[in-house]
Amino acid sequence: MGIESTAHTWSVGIVDFSGNVLSLVNDMFIPEKGGIHPILVREQHLNNFINVINRTLSEASISIRDIDLIAFSKSPGLGPILKIGAQVSRLLSQLLDIPIVAVNHCIAHVEIGRLMCKIEDPLTLYVSGGNTIVSAFESERYQIFGETLDIPIGNLIDSFARDVGIPHPGGPRVEQLAKKSSKYLSLPYVVKGMDLSFSGLYSAVKRLLESKDFRNNYNLNDVAHSLQETAFAMLTEVTERALAHTGKKEVLLTGGVAANKNLQEKIKYISDEHDARFEVVPVRYAGDNGAMIGWTGILRYKALGENTISDTQINPKERMDQITIPWRS
Amino acid sequence: MENEIVMEKVIHKGAEANLVYGHWFGKEVIFKHRIPKGYRIEQIDKMLRTKRTLNEGKALIRVKSYGINVPQVYEIDTKNSTIVMKHIKGQKLKDALKSLTNEQKVNILKNIGKNIAILHKNGHIHGDITTSNIILTNTEEIFIIDFGLHDYSDYIEDKSTDLHLFKRVLISSHGNDFCLCYEAFLEGYRNGYEPENIKECKEIIKNIKTIETRGRYVKKEDRI
Repeated sequence: MGIESTAHTWSVGIVDFSGNVLSLVNDMFIPEKGGIHPILVREQHLNNFINVINRTLSEASISIRDIDLIAFSKSPGLGPILKIGAQVSRLLSQLLDIPIVAVNHCIAHVEIGRLMCKIEDPLTLYVSGGNTIVSAFESERYQIFGETLDIPIGNLIDSFARDVGIPHPGGPRVEQLAKKSSKYLSLPYVVKGMDLSFSGLYSAVKRLLESKDFRNNYNLNDVAHSLQETAFAMLTEVTERALAHTGKKEVLLTGGVAANKNLQEKIKYISDEHDARFEVVPVRYAGDNGAMIGWTGILRYKALGENTISDTQINPKERMDQITIPWRS
Repeated sequence: MENEIVMEKVIHKGAEANLVYGHWFGKEVIFKHRIPKGYRIEQIDKMLRTKRTLNEGKALIRVKSYGINVPQVYEIDTKNSTIVMKHIKGQKLKDALKSLTNEQKVNILKNIGKNIAILHKNGHIHGDITTSNIILTNTEEIFIIDFGLHDYSDYIEDKSTDLHLFKRVLISSHGNDFCLCYEAFLEGYRNGYEPENIKECKEIIKNIKTIETRGRYVKKEDRI
């Protein structure tokens, strides 16, 4: 059983030791206004966690006694929310007397992608509301070749959506708006080697929305289109640069923003250019989910065994390149 | 043959440009052609290609006048976003590094450090120092290539960022040799800077640490 609890999604997945997902149930926090407030999310997760676990068990038609291993996301994420996942998992581990393993959320995203897309050694572009990372396996770790220097891409799109009154999650709506326009407004394009910066882009869009020009000459579709094109062109460029640098033959796109068709097309384009196989993780497993935690927990358990309870402390700021990956070397 | 421009074969597909080997009025050259990228819309594509071609061409010419080993530029064609430059025979440092002795590694990295210091001293930022962007010739000379992200700056911050990027590349691609290479690189860098401006050099190197601690998810105890 894998328990995912890093941000707005409380998700429980049941995976068997050969990598079949038996069931997966998500409970997502949707704010009435504003963004993801950790305390409000915590409240919702606390109210719902038993419910979600029970539904996951009944969907898989098994009892809690059939669970052999419990895995949870210990990093990175929002502290108060990580804590619930850790506490629930420790409790279950002790009650049922089964081993527990702590898993890094970013690594889980890559591992479920490798499992679902049957891919061996990809360069991964992981784009979500909390992370924007270009990573590949090298010298025993998932090294980070490029990442955002400030805000993640999903955060950029959601913040923009919120500013113009689109409810959370804004990504899909912004994608629809962008499709309706082909008028490009010049926006800052900031790529530093393989790293990216989106905060200047966000400020520029904000200024644009407040400008007289906007009221008279453009509409929201134009801004959405320009924002997406600029941000995605930046992402694609750094991914291509990392691809050329590492010489990997597979490209994996994952994370919540991976659902965006426009971004998929762009990444596919560069994969084809470099004769690399391109795969997008299916939406169900691209966003935050418990199955990825469960599967990565299994990999970790097979290679290193269980964690002791004192070793299951959460670590909200752990980077994926701090962890050696014994199951891949 | 003497007055012909012949593009013979693509020798490398980079992230943003194709390198084509060929002849240019009897000289062996590389055509660095920034190809249109179908994934981005025309306005962004055109703007980036023109700007980067012109910027890179100019930078190569200026930097060469400080005595840094960069390919000689023969022609800059912004319309086709192509730079024609001398063909350098050698290997990417990324591929060559593994098979070198420790002594060779130290010497080469010192040399790179020195060259980067000269760039910085004169207000040039390379912007993409990686081991893929350094060519090692058979005579163990190094050539710095790919000035596509080059910029002019005298800020400590920009210079430190430049070094930080190289450090990250050494860690991610050459993890086993990292300490040796990085130490040698910094030593060369210091030697390149001193004695004219020790203070600035020290600040730049110190600032690398600050940049690292500013990164995402850095441990609390490492923060300043």
